[in-house]
Amino acid sequence: MNAPTSTEIGSQLITFCAAGMLVFQLLLVVQRMLLASIRLFALQSLFLAGIAGVVACVHNATHVYIVAVLTIIGKVVFLPWLLNRQVRRIGISQEIAPLLNPPASMLLCGGLTLLGYIVARPFTALERLGSNTLAVAMALVLTGFFLMFNRRKAITQVLALLTVENGVMLAAIALTTYGMPLVVELGIFFDVMVAVMVLGILVYRIRDSFDSMDTSRLNQLKG
Amino acid sequence: MPLLALLILVPAAAALACLLVRSSRALAALGVLAFSATLGLGLALVRQVLARGVVSEWNGFLCADALSAWMVLLISVVSLASAIYAVGYLRRELADGAVTERRFREFYVLTPLFGASMFLVVLANNLGVMWFAVEATALSSVLLVALYNRRTSLEAAWKYIILGSVGLALGLMGTVLVYAAACKNNTQSLPSFNWSYLMSVAGQLDPRLLKLAFVFAFIGYGTKAGLAPMHTWLPDAHSEAPSPTSAMLSGVSLKIALYALLRFHILTTACLGTAFSQHLLLGFGLLSMCVAAPFILVQTNMKRLFAYHSLEHIGIMCVGLGLSAPLAVFGAVLHIGYHALVKSTIFFAAGNIHQKHHCLELPSLAGLLKTMPASSILLALAVIGIAGLPPFGIFLTEFSIVAGGMGAGQILASVLFVAALATVFSGLLGHVAHLLLGEADKEPAGPQTPLSCVAAMALLIALLTVFSVWLPAPLLQLLRQAAAIIIGGKP
Repeated sequence: MNAPTSTEIGSQLITFCAAGMLVFQLLLVVQRMLLASIRLFALQSLFLAGIAGVVACVHNATHVYIVAVLTIIGKVVFLPWLLNRQVRRIGISQEIAPLLNPPASMLLCGGLTLLGYIVARPFTALERLGSNTLAVAMALVLTGFFLMFNRRKAITQVLALLTVENGVMLAAIALTTYGMPLVVELGIFFDVMVAVMVLGILVYRIRDSFDSMDTSRLNQLKG
Repeated sequence: MPLLALLILVPAAAALACLLVRSSRALAALGVLAFSATLGLGLALVRQVLARGVVSEWNGFLCADALSAWMVLLISVVSLASAIYAVGYLRRELADGAVTERRFREFYVLTPLFGASMFLVVLANNLGVMWFAVEATALSSVLLVALYNRRTSLEAAWKYIILGSVGLALGLMGTVLVYAAACKNNTQSLPSFNWSYLMSVAGQLDPRLLKLAFVFAFIGYGTKAGLAPMHTWLPDAHSEAPSPTSAMLSGVSLKIALYALLRFHILTTACLGTAFSQHLLLGFGLLSMCVAAPFILVQTNMKRLFAYHSLEHIGIMCVGLGLSAPLAVFGAVLHIGYHALVKSTIFFAAGNIHQKHHCLELPSLAGLLKTMPASSILLALAVIGIAGLPPFGIFLTEFSIVAGGMGAGQILASVLFVAALATVFSGLLGHVAHLLLGEADKEPAGPQTPLSCVAAMALLIALLTVFSVWLPAPLLQLLRQAAAIIIGGKP
């Protein structure tokens, strides 16, 4: 038996990490504690960084290493810290009942994942490393949207948005040999950080004038 | 002189300066100065573009063709008018206690940033940078929408940023997929991710991936452009923002998103032929018009009325662009300009009315022609313009879109287009006739409208009138080139 090449090992590692990202996403869908949700997001981002690291290693591409490091600094450390601080300061730790109960959401997300696989099917031949990473990326995007509509707490909606973004970044890594150009990656990184800060400011202001960060109370503007 | 870089750096520097400046007069002056400078730079850019076709700087990082130059002009004019308007408007809001000192400063810091990011959208050559810039327009304007800190404005801001971010996540997916479509044939990373490079290899892109990419980009940037059915944030954000910001949002920011969408349309057309992206534009354009029409008929709040009216006009532009007949596309490109001028004027008028009557509910406002004649006459002219009556240019552009559609054999689309226009026309004129000519029942409480608030409106109406009857030859040439870029798919 031949020893597996570094590309094969890399491929399997990537498949493993992508699967892990999907698992964390599904856990996030049924998780109601805010702090635990933030931790799940951090873990998901860690796996994303792992994928970037493997890609960088296999292709020996310096700028993908930078992407991996940025992901760890931004999405595994900084954003979870920021969100954690907000949750503690606001003093609400649990999501009130989501629109759909956990078993129903789980079923629906299963369906959405399948849909992701169907959408990605024609493009599997284009994937560079790993198998079905594009399908997982599509599934992350779709379930991320579901998560956003299913939850009412402002912070969970921000988390959902971030998981959608993780899905897009996964697609970028899955479909291109070296990821996106560095200037684009830096731009995206910077944008996501600023977006979360701006959202944070809004969450505080909503909390101050509504005594709640329940977005279902934002219902005065109609017609 | 590095024109393109200066266009972005001047407003950005003004924003920085506003962070440091203390006095409110200096803040207002900086805003006006910055956008006067960009207008001058914009005019210089038009001259260069007409002479050279494409202007690029920083190793092709920034790039401007006729379409970008046209957008640069519009952003400059509307931002300048809005900066002039803001001088009197915000001073009064501050005096009335509607905004705090801190929010006042926030306005002056964020508005030039908003302008700078819009310039970056139209000047960026790299798709990723363009995405980043569109997101920056959303991030810099969301706190402006929330400026009054009322419950309703926070709600509007939240909807705006959440829907905008969802849309832009999809837009990013579209961007990534375009990159992947271009990567197909080479195992190396792309030499560049610029529009100009992609257009030169348009024939070699993977057509299936590009189709998928266009769908994502269409939904993504379409959300930001306020196309129905992704428009739900639009009436809220545009009506809750302070009037100078509403003018920039409705007047140019929607078209900036449309511009981003158009770039994808041009690339897709060059690769796949016209039919695919053209039908999407046409369909969603008509849908937006039909969705907006009933809301305009029953609307009771003046700013929401005109926000829905912007939705209708984004629909008109998409229909014109989607028809792909040269006449219709030319009409749509020109329409973008007229609409920017007129819609800003109307939001300024709404601001004046609100400061005078402390109310924007149409049923309880009437007979404004007597109580505030200057604003009313300008508003009347703007409404005549936007309803599509001659002598103003929108009559001409709407007519050329219909004529182009008929000529291209799109009879059903043209009929639907005219029907929606007629519905909106009657609804709008009914509302405004009551507003201006009806019987006033009580004397307004507010003081005289500040001079700068009327001046900004008069400036825009003057521009509209002049350009309705006379398009200078260089401008006409610029518009022809812009339309040719959209139709021909040339870089």
